[in-house]
Amino acid sequence: GVAPLGPVPLQKEHQLQFAMMEAAFYHMPHPSDSERLRSYLPRNLCQTPPYYQQVQLPHSDTVEFFQRLSTETLFFIFYYMEGSKGQYLAAKALKKQSWRFHTKYMMWFQRHEEPKIINEEAHTSTLITKNGD
Amino acid sequence: DRSSVGPTAHIHSGISQVRARDFDDPPGLMEKTEYLLREWVTMHHSPNNSRDPTKAFGLFVHQMNIHGILKTDDLITRFFKLSTQMCVDLCYRALAEPNTAVSAVRAKCFLTLDAFVKLVALLVKHSGDTSNTHTKINLLNKVLGIVAGVLLQDHEMRGTDFQQLPYQRIFIMLFLELCAPEPVLEAVNYQVLTAFCHTLHILRPAKASGFCYAWLELVSHRVFIGRMLAITPQQKCWGMYAQLLIDLFRYLAPYLRNAELAKPVLYLYKGTLRVLLVLLHDFPEFLCDYHYGFCDAIPPNCIQMRNLILSAFPRNMRLPDPFTPNLKVDMLQEIALAPRVLTNFASIIQPLSFKKELDSYLKARAPVTFLSELRSNLQVSQEAGMRYNIPLMNALVLYVGTQAITFIRNKGHTPNMSTIAHSAHMDIFQNLAVDLDTEGRYLFLNAIANQLRYPNSHTHYFSCTLLYLFAEANTEAIQEQITRVLLERLIVNRPHPWGLLITFIELIKNPTYKFWTHEFVHCAPEIEKLFESVARSCMVQKQV
Repeated sequence: GVAPLGPVPLQKEHQLQFAMMEAAFYHMPHPSDSERLRSYLPRNLCQTPPYYQQVQLPHSDTVEFFQRLSTETLFFIFYYMEGSKGQYLAAKALKKQSWRFHTKYMMWFQRHEEPKIINEEAHTSTLITKNGD
Repeated sequence: DRSSVGPTAHIHSGISQVRARDFDDPPGLMEKTEYLLREWVTMHHSPNNSRDPTKAFGLFVHQMNIHGILKTDDLITRFFKLSTQMCVDLCYRALAEPNTAVSAVRAKCFLTLDAFVKLVALLVKHSGDTSNTHTKINLLNKVLGIVAGVLLQDHEMRGTDFQQLPYQRIFIMLFLELCAPEPVLEAVNYQVLTAFCHTLHILRPAKASGFCYAWLELVSHRVFIGRMLAITPQQKCWGMYAQLLIDLFRYLAPYLRNAELAKPVLYLYKGTLRVLLVLLHDFPEFLCDYHYGFCDAIPPNCIQMRNLILSAFPRNMRLPDPFTPNLKVDMLQEIALAPRVLTNFASIIQPLSFKKELDSYLKARAPVTFLSELRSNLQVSQEAGMRYNIPLMNALVLYVGTQAITFIRNKGHTPNMSTIAHSAHMDIFQNLAVDLDTEGRYLFLNAIANQLRYPNSHTHYFSCTLLYLFAEANTEAIQEQITRVLLERLIVNRPHPWGLLITFIELIKNPTYKFWTHEFVHCAPEIEKLFESVARSCMVQKQV
């Protein structure tokens, strides 16, 4: 760097400020500090070799991308990333693949065959179920 | 800071209540608060309440009532103060535990902090009637003041052991809670933003430097920037956001001007550049409108940081490529339009007597003594590197320039190389170029170069002015310094302001300036090569 006006020694006030800043530098904010609590997948920062993918694939935050994921992946995202955009997109993708969420059982259901009885309130048939546990 | 009036009154009263030493809490309040806070954290995290906290909140308010907390405003305030301190203490204890994983420590802190934040958000939302916005906002300001007061006290008492985490978490989570898409909250969103801005201004890095990284995280949080610059209508929050950026630039200035960046400064500086890049990409009009105030706060040697601001231009504008051969700048329509400058620069020209003399000189072009005294009016000390009042220099240059444009227009002309000459305005500029020492002239020329931006009337006028000063210079030293100021802004990495490129290309291309005959162009082989490469990129033949 250049200092065309020449260096000026730091005043006492700035030296004190610098000391506080330097101390803060050793406990920097963590990315999770300004995010909602992730109970199952907390952020765990570590250095990965540069020849590995460092950033997410482009457009990986679209429903189209989520529809290309396996149902197992979508269920994982749904149950382990609660309250995130990922969960929302996973639910959307599952719904597009004819899965329906049962709010009482907290499970996703899909028809295995045509229902035998259909009325206003309910229908019965063989269903494939998935849950989080 | 004005503490007695306006929306900040409640923030300041919150701060002072934390600070008051002779402010003993009534007996038993501490225990009650601790009990209630613990109760709330458990209630808040119980699975039955996770979807809808209103039922738990109703029960909890009932409990607060039973314990007499809601009896007076004073007791409520004390409750918040004690709760904040308890949350903070819990974080210090968690952070001090040895051999615990980051995520476990964080999770422990967040459980309590998030519950406390939720309680504050619900209390703010439900205080007073649905339509009574005053009670809600007063309570919010009070709580923000209390948290800020606890922060400042903690920062002072613990010194270098201070931790940013609890405060950052409280502020950001409370902000996100209060920006939820609910009609009650949407009705007060502007006041919520104002409250947070005031609090962040009070906690600016110069006042709480141990909080500076968290502070920058808050100021640059995507939801905060979005609300401040995009969602709030009529750009009502732009001024407040500009103030926060100026707080940041002012804090960095003493470290940046010495160009010796210790790691802690470097990190904050890099963060600042990133924020500026985001703003340049997403809100260029914001940088355009406030460029003056920003340039005033950024030290002269921070070329790239300033270029980021000066390169901003309105998104609906198409800039002609500066390298187009035979580009006629005078023919551009935008050249006639003045840019918006949202800083009252005329008021910076102080003392008032100097402003009066300036105005009368611009009118009468007399007395000549005004010119000879100009230098002493700008000079503030004898110490090298700090001789001049830089904000005054910047204000003087822009003020005289804008007056000149009006003056020329009033005569029925448009500013160009011949109409700008021989006037009171140009007298001032020429006098500054000749009479100031190297340091003063450097600052003067920088003040001019700060106006070389996207196509507008200021850019055009000051481009002509700089070229005129080059052509009319009585010594080569002035020409060398003009070249230096332009070149040093161009040899850094992109972006480069449009007006700056236009001016420099004109200087080396137009034979009237005899640029290539000057000695300083050939003073060193590196410099000569540099000029040649710039000239080649401008697609002109070297003229000797």
